[in-house]
Formats: sequence, structure tokens, C-alpha cells
Amino acid sequence: MFNGKAVVLVVDDSAIIRLSAVDLIESAGYLALEAGCADDAIQILESRTDIDLVFTDVQMPGTMDGIKLCHYIRKRWPPLKLIVASGEAIIEESNLPDGSRFFAKPYNDNAIADAIGRMLSSGTA
Amino acid sequence: MTTEPPIHFEAASTIAVVVSSNEPLLFLSEDQRVIAASSSFCRAFEINPATIPGRRLSDLGGGEWAMPTLASLLKATASGVAQIDAYEIDLLRPNRPARRLVINARTLDDGDKERVRLLLAVTDVTDMRAEARLKDDLVRDKAILMQEVQHRVANSLQIIASVLMQSARRVQSEEARGHLQNAHHRVMSIAAVQKQLSTSTVGKVELRTYFTQLCESLGASMIADADRLSIAVTVDDSAVDPDVSISLGLIVTELVINALKHAFPDQSKGRIEIDYRSADGDWTLSVSDNGIGLPTGSDAPKAGLGTGIVEALARNLRGTIEVSDAGPGATVTIRHRAAADADATLPAAE
Repeated sequence: MFNGKAVVLVVDDSAIIRLSAVDLIESAGYLALEAGCADDAIQILESRTDIDLVFTDVQMPGTMDGIKLCHYIRKRWPPLKLIVASGEAIIEESNLPDGSRFFAKPYNDNAIADAIGRMLSSGTA
Repeated sequence: MTTEPPIHFEAASTIAVVVSSNEPLLFLSEDQRVIAASSSFCRAFEINPATIPGRRLSDLGGGEWAMPTLASLLKATASGVAQIDAYEIDLLRPNRPARRLVINARTLDDGDKERVRLLLAVTDVTDMRAEARLKDDLVRDKAILMQEVQHRVANSLQIIASVLMQSARRVQSEEARGHLQNAHHRVMSIAAVQKQLSTSTVGKVELRTYFTQLCESLGASMIADADRLSIAVTVDDSAVDPDVSISLGLIVTELVINALKHAFPDQSKGRIEIDYRSADGDWTLSVSDNGIGLPTGSDAPKAGLGTGIVEALARNLRGTIEVSDAGPGATVTIRHRAAADADATLPAAE
């Protein structure tokens, strides 16, 4: 279905959470890229065409938070799958682009890996 | 001036009531001259009482009471068209901050229909409003701070959970991996309370939601085949203090991990049931499985950290632990009796 491994972009301003998220994604068999803020994420998205899914934090420094980033991505790169994680437990999936998943932090690594697997296999990529 | 206005005398008692009113009060004639003012009015608005009687309202003090809207409202009140109820107006004086006033006015009803007189009550709400605003600001600040703290706690727990899982993935020894995963479960069990509290307004943790979340999370990470092993949660409407919920959650975590690890070595199907119910301060928590039952004799494993945690927490909650064969499987029951709690020297009744 895929030409090689699926590619997941991790966006989180905490280096240590990002490091673990990258490890989680690679252990699940995907290729992981990382960005520390929405602006860096957009630069990476502009520079390559093989990204399948973005896994982002919400509260981050820079011009956009994770929620704005998701809406921006949906507009510019509609096929990309989106997963959002935040320390604020009250974010509703309805505030996010259709089909996005939300996880309250601390998320369970297995739940994230499951969600990624499910979202990528349901895609038409 | 073609005619002198006729002279009227007010009852001394009426004047005395006005003067001694605790609420700043003015007693006015129909043409808005002051017949009497309360001492509280003179004090509050710094007007010499001696200068008041007979003077027009608009000439009081430095003329700051000459407010066109007030005058027209009083006129309407005097003619019986309107009544002033809690009308808000700013009192402006040179070199002073404006004061926010709440004004009430009505005609005096003393049976004398010929002469209209007005009672004008003036309340200075400036300080009260400022206090209310300050309180609103504080409440808002507190909410923002709480959100910030919750956000930080969640992020910190994420770091701990992520690092534990990363270590578990990297480590070579199966035993060490088990320990790291258990540590991760314990952290997630406490985090679930945090999540619930962040959305709760009453500071209590609803056990049904909490245990359900907890078991979903344990199942997601420990059960490879959801058709083979399942966890069912039955909890009444209990909501408990966060400290108690953390202890109960950790007990459930340990017992469920234990059952998932040991109760179903070769079974094709297995089920774990968590049950919690409370009444009148008594509560019972039980975790049962339909697995192989309790190991005995030389098969019995040495009590591990999990057992130690359950015992310590149960003691802390003043509960007794009972382990029984459920035939098939095993049941661990923690019971708390409020009566036994009241008289701790009596052994808990069975």
C-alpha cells in the first residue's frame, strides 16, 4: 500500500517528549520527522511530499498553536491525517478538522500507535 | 418672581427620620429644593449640613448635583409619571475621581395630596463595584493559574510516562521490561485522576468514569487479543476525594495487572471484573477473574511490589483485604466499614 514506510511528523516544543514520541513512532515501524513549533513544521511540510500524518502538541511558542496548525494543514494539504495531544483535557475533537483524533496528555503510547495504525490503513494514499 | 411661595412646615418627626437615616437621603420639595438631608448624606458627599435647608439641589456643594438627567427624572417622579428605581449616575467633582451612585426616588406619601415632596436615596457603590471587579479578576486569574498548573502537571506526567515507555522498549531483559511497564501503568493510573480533576468543578473524582478509563488504558497496553481477554467495570454513582481515588486507582491497577499476568496462562478466554459499591460510608471494592485460581504451596510466588502496594494502600484507606477462590478464578475484596473505623479497636465484622 505504501512505498516504503509511512512518514509521521512529530510537533512538540518539549524536546524530551518529542524524543520519546519519535522513538514510539519508529518502534511502531514508521519513519519519524520532528519539529519544535508550528512554523518549523510548515517548513518541513513544504520541503517534502511524503508525509502521511502529523502528531502535534497544542500549546507551543510561535505564530500558531497546534489547533491552528491542524486547520492550516487541512487547508493546504487535505489528505494528511492529524493527531493532537494536549495537557488540556477539555479540547473537543469537534474543534479540530474532521477525522482528527485528540488525546489528553499524558497519552498512552500504545493508544497513539493504535490510532496511527488505524488512521493510516483507512487512508486512500 | 411675582408671588412668594407659601410657607409650609413639615412634621418634626418626618425631618428627624430623614436626618437620622443611615442611608444617604434627601427630602426635597416639588421644585427640588432641599427640605432636609440626612447626616449620612452630608458626611458621604462632604456638604456642610448648615448650608443645606432651602437650597436647590443643583446648588448643593460646588454645584456637582446639578445633573440634567437627575433633575428631569425627579421632575417626572414628582409629576407621578415615573419612579426612579436604582438609576445609576456618576457624581463628578473637580480634582476627584468620579463616584458611581445608585439613585432611588419616590414621592412622600403622608396623606397630603396638595403638596408633592420627594425622597431621594443615594447610595455610593463605587467601592463595592471596585471590590466586585477585583474579585472577578481574582477568580479569573485563579482559573488561568489552575489551567496553567494542570497543563504543567500533564506535561510533566507525559515526560515521565514517555521516558518509562521508551526505556521499556529499549531494555533487553524481559523482567526489567515488565517492571518498567508496571511503573508506567502506575503513573498512568495517577494521571487518569489528574485528567478527571481538570474537568471536574467539584474537586471529587467520579469512580465509574475513572475506573473505566483506567481499565481501558490497562487493556490497551496489556491485552494483545481483545477477543480473548476482557475487563468489565461495575461501579455505582460514588464520587470520592482525589487522595482516596488515587489509592483506589492504584489498587485496581495492581490487581488488574496481576490478574492479566498470572490468571490466564493458557486459557482461550478470560474475564476480569471490577466492582465497587458504597453505602453509608461503607464501601467494597472487588477485583475478580475467572482464571486458574490462586497458586498454592511451592507454586505460590513470593509477594512482590504489587502486593506490598495493595496492602499499604488498603491499610491507609482503613480497609481489610480478603482473598478468595472464586471457583473458577480468584477474587480480591477490599472492604471498608465506617463503624469499624469509628472504633478501630474492634475487629472488622465478617
